[in-house]
Amino acid sequence: MTSTTSKQSLSARIKRELNKNLLVYVVLVPVIIHFLIFQIYPFALSFYLTFHDWKIIGDPEFVGLKHWKSLFDDEIAWKAIWNTVKFSIYYIVPTMALGLILAVIINSGVKFSGFFKGLFFLPVVTSFVIIAGIWGWLFRGTEDGFINYLIGFVGINPQLFLSSSSQALLVLAGLSIFKVAGTTMIYYYAGLQSIDRQLYEAARIDGASPWKIFWKVTFPMLKPIHFYVAITTTIGSFQIFDSAFLLTNGGPNYSTTTIVYYLYHQGFTSLNLSYAAVLSYVLFFIILIISLIQRKYIGKDPNYY
Amino acid sequence: MSNTIFKKLGLLFLVLVLSVVMAACSEDETTSTDADTNTDNGSANTDSEESSGLSGEITVWAHPYTDGSTGEGDMWKTFASDFEAETGVKVNFEQIPWANRDQKILTALAAGQGPDVFYVIPDQMPQYAEQQLILDISQYVTDEDLSGFVPTAIEATSWKGKQYGMPILQTAESLIYNKDILTELGVDENSLPTTWDEFKALAEKAKAAGYYAFSYAGGGSLNNTLYPFLWQAGGNVIDEENNILINKPEAVKSFELINEMYTKGWIPQDSITALDHDSLYFGGKLLAVNGSGISVNRLLAEKPFEFVIAPPLKDAEQLTYGTVGMFVGSAISKNPEAAAEFMKYITNTDNQRTFNNITQYIPTRDEAKDIFDSQQYMAQLAGYTEYAKPGVIHPEGRNIMPLVQAEIQAMLEGKQSPQEAADKAADAIDKVINK
Repeated sequence: MTSTTSKQSLSARIKRELNKNLLVYVVLVPVIIHFLIFQIYPFALSFYLTFHDWKIIGDPEFVGLKHWKSLFDDEIAWKAIWNTVKFSIYYIVPTMALGLILAVIINSGVKFSGFFKGLFFLPVVTSFVIIAGIWGWLFRGTEDGFINYLIGFVGINPQLFLSSSSQALLVLAGLSIFKVAGTTMIYYYAGLQSIDRQLYEAARIDGASPWKIFWKVTFPMLKPIHFYVAITTTIGSFQIFDSAFLLTNGGPNYSTTTIVYYLYHQGFTSLNLSYAAVLSYVLFFIILIISLIQRKYIGKDPNYY
Repeated sequence: MSNTIFKKLGLLFLVLVLSVVMAACSEDETTSTDADTNTDNGSANTDSEESSGLSGEITVWAHPYTDGSTGEGDMWKTFASDFEAETGVKVNFEQIPWANRDQKILTALAAGQGPDVFYVIPDQMPQYAEQQLILDISQYVTDEDLSGFVPTAIEATSWKGKQYGMPILQTAESLIYNKDILTELGVDENSLPTTWDEFKALAEKAKAAGYYAFSYAGGGSLNNTLYPFLWQAGGNVIDEENNILINKPEAVKSFELINEMYTKGWIPQDSITALDHDSLYFGGKLLAVNGSGISVNRLLAEKPFEFVIAPPLKDAEQLTYGTVGMFVGSAISKNPEAAAEFMKYITNTDNQRTFNNITQYIPTRDEAKDIFDSQQYMAQLAGYTEYAKPGVIHPEGRNIMPLVQAEIQAMLEGKQSPQEAADKAADAIDKVINK
């Protein structure tokens, strides 16, 4: 009897709740449909494909764990994973640091801050192809390359840059940092603007130096921004593709072959769509694990809001 | 009150969704009706349908073959309308950018849509044929249809005895020398190198005078880098029985030549991953490049220096790279007969004359080569198509390319010898073709 009553009251509550928020649900329906069709369906389909051979036209043929097993014997795939991890190491912290420095500069009340804001943001809105072209010219590995020309003045021999296994990935990371730092700057600038001015006044009254104010007030107060930027730059770094595609074609000797570059090659040049799907899941799991770690150590902080 | 509003909103939403669905359905119906109307209406179309036995419509995807300033768009419009008048088949022409063309075509085919006719090159063709993505047009093409084509063009468009494409253009790469540098080096343009040894001697001379001898875009396709030398040395990558030949002594000679060119500074320092050396060449810093009609036309348009074209080099054999551009049919085409007919139509002698005159490629029909009678350089290149091989024609041809490229890059970085690079390339190829 009690259970029936509680069931009735639950269904009544659900009904009441539905009625209360009906407009919200109606408005959300197109978004949910879009999400199901363009996010969940491809996600599930690609997982299904990892267990099948699919020749693009016709029905997929079940092959069990064949494609997952071939991942373990694929030296290039492991190299691509390692390259992507290395790229992230080169990319994440400098991108965050540069974004923060630029945000502090434009937030400091420097003259023409609007101009600098536009200038620092310019690479973000410029086509990647154009920036890659400029970068390719700057870092051309011949003695007439611009950077080689400059370093020649201080007695450094011409470097191979994009033709060197030890330098190419660093140059590509530099390109990505240059391209993305403006976006990071905007996030940090928004964060800086939202910090309560009273905290600065109190710190100044206590006699704290600007340096100390930055480390004891500004930096900790930006924690939610650090978290957000860390997550987005990490995801961005693991999805790096364009620069390797445009400047090095994954070379020399696979040193700039990243997971997405390799995935693209397997999918659209080799037509191994199922194996490309396996690689996409590898990428998904890596990003998932790193995001969970970041959330555990940064996102759960009580200061996160 | 509020419930009434929500009910009305809910009804409105339902109506909206239904409208979208109905509009989508009716669009399909309209399209098919239009197509029917197009083919049914008008006596000209009815007559042509009766005479050709074809009907319906086809979608054709082609790429921009010029910079768009030479009437290319009008050419396709004329091809489409003439074909329509002749056969009654409506042609929907779409121009697709070169960038990510594989991705676009494969995505469309995977979705059960896309073109009935599209453009591919020979190293894509066997791969697409093995994946059953393209139409075997043997049943629609007679021996007469294939007569008059350059034999190498027909070879490049067939796989395992079946005809998959109709060739429309060819290229042939050959050595294009900067005449100013030749003059400075005191070299007579009528006695240019014909063998590797003669070229090496000239390269050394050019280097001593402060020039690079040659261009080597090591990040690009092996069709333009390793393969011409490999064929010239009498080597090959793999044969038809899947025997791996890339580490045989003849083939290794090409690895050694490239290594020598790099270590001696005959090719630029960034040759390991460079995607092109155009700026160096047009800037007058390179003695020679392996160029095709595109290079010639750019040189004629920009006139950075006088130039002279020499025949392809020879070591054991005189060979070079040259692609064959072809149109193929989609395996899921609902109108395969019309698709095949359109391919035959645009590759006939007259249309090849038009196409190749506008795009400045070499026709694949001997008869149509007369368009270059008054063009010295293009006529010269057209004469070299007999030496041109269109790449590694194998379903894995494109897959093995990055594997070989990586080993050459490691060799040029000084990490391995030419023989080691060739052996590792052979192992990598073995894993792919015998997986």
